[in-house]
Amino acid sequence: MEQSGSFFSFLLENLTQFLSFTGFANFTIGHGIMIVVGLLFIYLAIAKEFEPMLLVPIGFGIIVGNIPFTPGYQIGVYESGSVLNYLYFGVLKGIYPPLIFLGIGAMTDFSALISNPKLMLIGAAAQLGIFGAYILALLLGFSPQEAGAIGIIGGADGPTAIFLSSKLAPELMGAIAISAYSYMALVPVIQPPVMKLLTTKKERLIRMKPPRQVTKLEKIMFPIIGLLLTTFIVPSGLPLLGMLFFGNLLKESTVTKRLADTAKGPMIDIVTILIGLTVGASTQATTFLTPKSVGIFALGAASFVVATFGGVMFVKFLNLFLKEGNKINPLIGNAGVSAVPDSARVSQIVGLEYDKTNHLLMHAMGPNVAGVIGSAVAAGILLSFLA
Amino acid sequence: MMRRMKRLYLATVLVVLSFVSVNAQSVYDLRINEVMLFNKTNYIDSYGERSAWIELVNTGYNSINVAGCYLTNDISIPTKYRIPSADPITLIPQQQYLVFFANGKSVHGTLHLNFTLDSTNRFIALIAPDGRTLIDSITLPIIDTDKSYVRLPNGTGKWQVSELATPNSTNELFETHVTAGQKFVKFDPYGFIMAFIAMSVVFTALLVLYRLFKLTARLAQKPIRIQFRKPKQTKLDMVEEKVEEIPGEVFAAISAALYFYETEKHDQESTVLTIERVSRRYSPWSSKLYSLQQTPNRIVVHRKMN
Repeated sequence: MEQSGSFFSFLLENLTQFLSFTGFANFTIGHGIMIVVGLLFIYLAIAKEFEPMLLVPIGFGIIVGNIPFTPGYQIGVYESGSVLNYLYFGVLKGIYPPLIFLGIGAMTDFSALISNPKLMLIGAAAQLGIFGAYILALLLGFSPQEAGAIGIIGGADGPTAIFLSSKLAPELMGAIAISAYSYMALVPVIQPPVMKLLTTKKERLIRMKPPRQVTKLEKIMFPIIGLLLTTFIVPSGLPLLGMLFFGNLLKESTVTKRLADTAKGPMIDIVTILIGLTVGASTQATTFLTPKSVGIFALGAASFVVATFGGVMFVKFLNLFLKEGNKINPLIGNAGVSAVPDSARVSQIVGLEYDKTNHLLMHAMGPNVAGVIGSAVAAGILLSFLA
Repeated sequence: MMRRMKRLYLATVLVVLSFVSVNAQSVYDLRINEVMLFNKTNYIDSYGERSAWIELVNTGYNSINVAGCYLTNDISIPTKYRIPSADPITLIPQQQYLVFFANGKSVHGTLHLNFTLDSTNRFIALIAPDGRTLIDSITLPIIDTDKSYVRLPNGTGKWQVSELATPNSTNELFETHVTAGQKFVKFDPYGFIMAFIAMSVVFTALLVLYRLFKLTARLAQKPIRIQFRKPKQTKLDMVEEKVEEIPGEVFAAISAALYFYETEKHDQESTVLTIERVSRRYSPWSSKLYSLQQTPNRIVVHRKMN
């Protein structure tokens, strides 16, 4: 009788322990909020088609990262030795972003930029968003390293944001990455009002000269010269710029088609899955739901507005010195942020609203790809000044 | 009725358990961060006594519950002191510390170990709850009284003797190292100088690239022009050349149209039924012709009669 009593108490003890191990037992309100955020991301990606390639892995990652569990069993992304922790290593040490840049390089056609090199300057002007956010972050009391990591959201470049924040402020990386990717998805919502506000109807109707044909030699020379010039000026941008231009050379040389195809196809897909899932999983409620995250989201929105302002106003400024017929439509100024090709598509759509025959996509791709180079250079500067 | 009661009971249990929040993560993020071997005038425990102490740090970014782990001064007895469960003090918040007193008085509470440290017992190990896996260990040198042995930088760096003990606090408290960012902000508290310098560098990089490519464009196009410079072009040739040259805007329009067409098509795709004819490609392996024995044919030669 005593034995059966002790057996039942043993059974009850184990059952209680099992219940304490379940997700229900470890659940907090924070976990619930984050799971809802994850579901929202998945909804936006599938129903609204907002950057589905990024938001589906990130959204699912947020859910994965916020399943409550009992610690100590090497499950979570922050638990040393867990599978998720190994995958997260690529984010933490800045391995994935350069690999993504390799793929971006292999799929980017710089022809629009080479045919009209002055568009590069628009890509530089739009980086104002980075430093506008940096100033605001310092004013809000963030440390210089944190401010630099937050500022890079304004570059509208997810891999660059992850790379820089992993070096400057790893504890804020989840919030910064989520903020950067969210606002990149919202480019079609954020940019048009700013573009319309800053331009007159006459300016929006400016027709630009069609871009000239670019020779193969120019296309091959671009990544080599680009690499030498930019990395000699900012060596700390080497991981990103080196991979970007290397990927582009694989594409443009035309003799390494297989390598280029791998870089822009299966490889970038694999890395995107890994980076999306692990960045999402890193947003555990305990580290993500803080007042700092709210500040980061507010600064992220501000940085996109400032970046658009910088690009559009710079084109207007440039037009003061250009002859009639050579003028640039300021609606392509927004494309200086490196959200490729979304911001260029915004230029096209807004341009067509005012003239159904004025196609700006080709012209906007110039500053758009220049923005990728510009944001990587800006990240290099922040790294060398603040790290 | 019974089923409802059961459901209600289960829901109540789950709700109650849901309030049991466990924030800790992996014990493998714990490190021994600072140790004092001979304590005469330094840190005092809650009993007003001084003894050797060991500081643990949580290097992770989530809280860690150290309960269930073991501390020992003898690697042959890894489970010498089990850190008791059910004491909230064992939960170490992210990047925070917990100090244990090596005074051999475990009856004084959770933070008092059942062993001591002295000139002969200078080894400390932190063992995982499985009682086997070593998380961190250190063999101390002979340190002067009231001096501590610390990791610099905090939690990750090399061990060194420190004049100043910092129990329950960062070891970098008195560190003179100032990061580049902190130095920069001293001169530029609002970030305007940084913005100006950085924008100038970005502009310079892209301006140089622009100038170079303007020059390169001329050089790169030159041989092509020479190639096209044929002896004399007729008017017909010139018209043909003009027809071949398609402006970039047309490409842009086609690309945009294709994009919109593809995205719209995708939306309607699920409602369209298609019947596709399945055709099997010819293969000699499955051909009956090759498996049949050929009957000899009589060759008839038709000669053309002139």
